[in-house]
Amino acid sequence: MKTEKHSPRSTTPALKTIMVVSLVFVSSAFMTGCASVGVDPWDRDIMAKREMKPVTHPLVASVDDHIYFSKEASTGGKSSSGGGCGCN
Amino acid sequence: MQLDPKKSKRIAGTLGLLTASLLAGVGATAQSSDEPITTKPAPVSQAPQGTNEFDDDTYTDEGLIRIDGAVLVYQEDGGRVRAIEPVVGVTYNFEDDSSLSLKLTADILTGASPYGATPWQNTQTLVDPPSTGSSGSSSNTSSTTDVPPDVLPLAQGFNDQRYAVDASYTSPWGEDSTVSINAGLSKETDYKSFYGGIGYSREFNQKNTTFSASANVEYDISSPRGGHPRPLAVAGSRYDNDDDHKTVIGGLIGFSQVMNRHWLAQLNYNVSTSSGYQSDPYRVISVVDSVTGGPVRYLNESRPDSRLRQSVYFGNKVAIGSTVSDISARAYHDDWGINSVTLNLDTRVPVTNRFYLKPGVRYYSQSAADFFNYYLIDGEAVPEFTSPDSRLDKFSAVTASLMAGYKTSKTGEVYARVSRYEPSAKTSTANAPGYLAGRDLFSGTASTSVIVGYTYAFK
Repeated sequence: MKTEKHSPRSTTPALKTIMVVSLVFVSSAFMTGCASVGVDPWDRDIMAKREMKPVTHPLVASVDDHIYFSKEASTGGKSSSGGGCGCN
Repeated sequence: MQLDPKKSKRIAGTLGLLTASLLAGVGATAQSSDEPITTKPAPVSQAPQGTNEFDDDTYTDEGLIRIDGAVLVYQEDGGRVRAIEPVVGVTYNFEDDSSLSLKLTADILTGASPYGATPWQNTQTLVDPPSTGSSGSSSNTSSTTDVPPDVLPLAQGFNDQRYAVDASYTSPWGEDSTVSINAGLSKETDYKSFYGGIGYSREFNQKNTTFSASANVEYDISSPRGGHPRPLAVAGSRYDNDDDHKTVIGGLIGFSQVMNRHWLAQLNYNVSTSSGYQSDPYRVISVVDSVTGGPVRYLNESRPDSRLRQSVYFGNKVAIGSTVSDISARAYHDDWGINSVTLNLDTRVPVTNRFYLKPGVRYYSQSAADFFNYYLIDGEAVPEFTSPDSRLDKFSAVTASLMAGYKTSKTGEVYARVSRYEPSAKTSTANAPGYLAGRDLFSGTASTSVIVGYTYAFK
């Protein structure tokens, strides 16, 4: 049998940290009033840049997803689209 | 490059601080306006007067056809799996803001992959996965391989090809909404996958906030060469002839928010449930002697037939000066007992108006599945589920990458990226029996990948 039974506690603090950071984000950005953040139309010069798009190189992103899916247990998060390979 | 845990912690800490400091800036640039705004800038057909066309990085693809092509070369250390993957895509961007995309992928895989068995001080003989035969045919004539002493047993001669087709259509819907639909299929010698999805997004709060939701389904057919090994049977002894299926249903909801002039943030929740055959038909687990650690027999692995995955993704695009950084974190949990954290940072640094560099680093850490075992002990009860797959092991990994891009025209770019992936085992084997005590039994491996691509849009 596995010699040292894994304890999920080892990664739980990091999990909680991200959850807390996410909640802070949600509360600050959405619950306190979305009108308090954001920009005016004339201030969208930087947002309009192509490199500000969430995915700048779709083929690189899909190749990365495939590589990490074949090596790690985790998948998803950024998008829900899948498409299986038999590498499970 | 081997990063030790201290370095990994420093990287994780730095990323955490960066994220925290960004959050602290919320509200510092609070603004409001009742003016109607548009998310996308007007199409720019000509560069502004007095500037070089390469300085215009705000054009849209509206009315243009964009082609993408890339080739990935992926190589695992130790002569293990090599993949060569060409991908081509074309997107028709219509004048009404709708678009139609088609993508073709080929994947040529060769090399060696772990049987799942543990190493031993003497030569051990393992039954090879059936290498010939088709779905549904039973193979009782499997060959065997003598594995040399003191090495991780690897099945040599692994060879497969995968082909995939993906199509998607996106269209505006009403004033502020967008709908999309996608479908695809992927085919290997022994595996087929059919999948599709729908998506909806809506902009509000003067288009500073975008809500998105999507759902996807997937249906997979597994037809391993020689049939399905019966779970927990002695390796090479029992095969079932039927195809086995897996169904995946997933959903995602998310918000993206323009936080200020320099910062776009995104927060997603993703859930998926899969049911059906999820074992690896080519993987075995060693049953070892409780004193010597030597192999007694090998059993086919066995995994649960359902899995519920959940993740929270927090992504950010931050422009500082002329650089743009992508900073993201993902927390993941599934009911196989795996928790993981992924942190990613890359920064695009323009060198000239045509040339840029993008260094990146990614940190990943996961816990083990509840039923993960390197080996079973002879004489002890065999658990209902057990697998020695490194993807279910406890480990962390660091990826370092460097990308370079060069604008060949206003709408064209050639790019290349080199990545190095270095995993580190985290499961202790100090109390393993005999030969296995203190030995590195992690079967994951480091890898290097290179991708070269070209993209261009034209009328």
